[in-house]
Amino acid sequence: MDWLEDELQQALRRQEPSPDFEARVTSTVSRQVNAAMRPVLLMPRWLATAAAVLAIAGAGAGYRYHQGHVAKEQVMLAMRLAGSRLNRIQMQMKAVRP
Amino acid sequence: MKTARRSALTVVRTWALACAIAAALCAQQLKLNLEHLAAKASDSVDISLNNSMLQFAGKFLDGKDPDEAAVKKLIAGIDGIYIRNFEFKQEGVWSQADLDQVRNQMKAPDWSRIVGIKSAEDGENTEVHVCNQAGKVTGVVILVSGPKAFTVANIVGNVSLDSLADLGGHFGLPKLEQKKKK
Repeated sequence: MDWLEDELQQALRRQEPSPDFEARVTSTVSRQVNAAMRPVLLMPRWLATAAAVLAIAGAGAGYRYHQGHVAKEQVMLAMRLAGSRLNRIQMQMKAVRP
Repeated sequence: MKTARRSALTVVRTWALACAIAAALCAQQLKLNLEHLAAKASDSVDISLNNSMLQFAGKFLDGKDPDEAAVKKLIAGIDGIYIRNFEFKQEGVWSQADLDQVRNQMKAPDWSRIVGIKSAEDGENTEVHVCNQAGKVTGVVILVSGPKAFTVANIVGNVSLDSLADLGGHFGLPKLEQKKKK
């Protein structure tokens, strides 16, 4: 059985990695990460800017539209109030001087 | 030197003209310090629309709708609309001082009261004051004070009878008859 043990010990003995092993692993990993990140980082940069500009412009236009409708409703309410008061005044004047 | 003096004079004149116009507009626009009534009111309306807001709102008024078309035409000559309307659940909430602070701002010779109605039936006082400058109506104030209501409507600008007559038939407003020039 000694030959078997010898063979096993030989096969399973601790081997130190080559000195450039760590550098090779690090460079491979970083290369893969960069390759994966590139389309994500490069493409959406202009796309995100365009989307942000569109969103801001859209929100601005929407807010302006809302403000316009609020102003319009206020004008209509003001005219309705002034109109109803004038109507009442004329009715009272007609009652006094038919 | 002469050019510099001329341009300086032009600037001064422009400023003086702008100040005169602003002063004239301020005279028609009343200071309505009635915020204390809003807290006591069961229902209140506070509308302040200057010229730019009116023109902005005008862009959103539909010319095909008869009511909105009439209002659009009317606001073209108006510089501002300021309305304070308060409804109260109890009587005697507003005071004579509130009424006086509005009335005291409308001074002769520019301002004149053209209508004054005192209703014994419901105790309501109605007044219409008009600001006349250079033969033109440049401001109107409708003042209605009842036991449970207080309304001030201040319309600043060239409020002509024509424009008011155009509102006839809209919002329940009857057509106002004008005296025609002979």
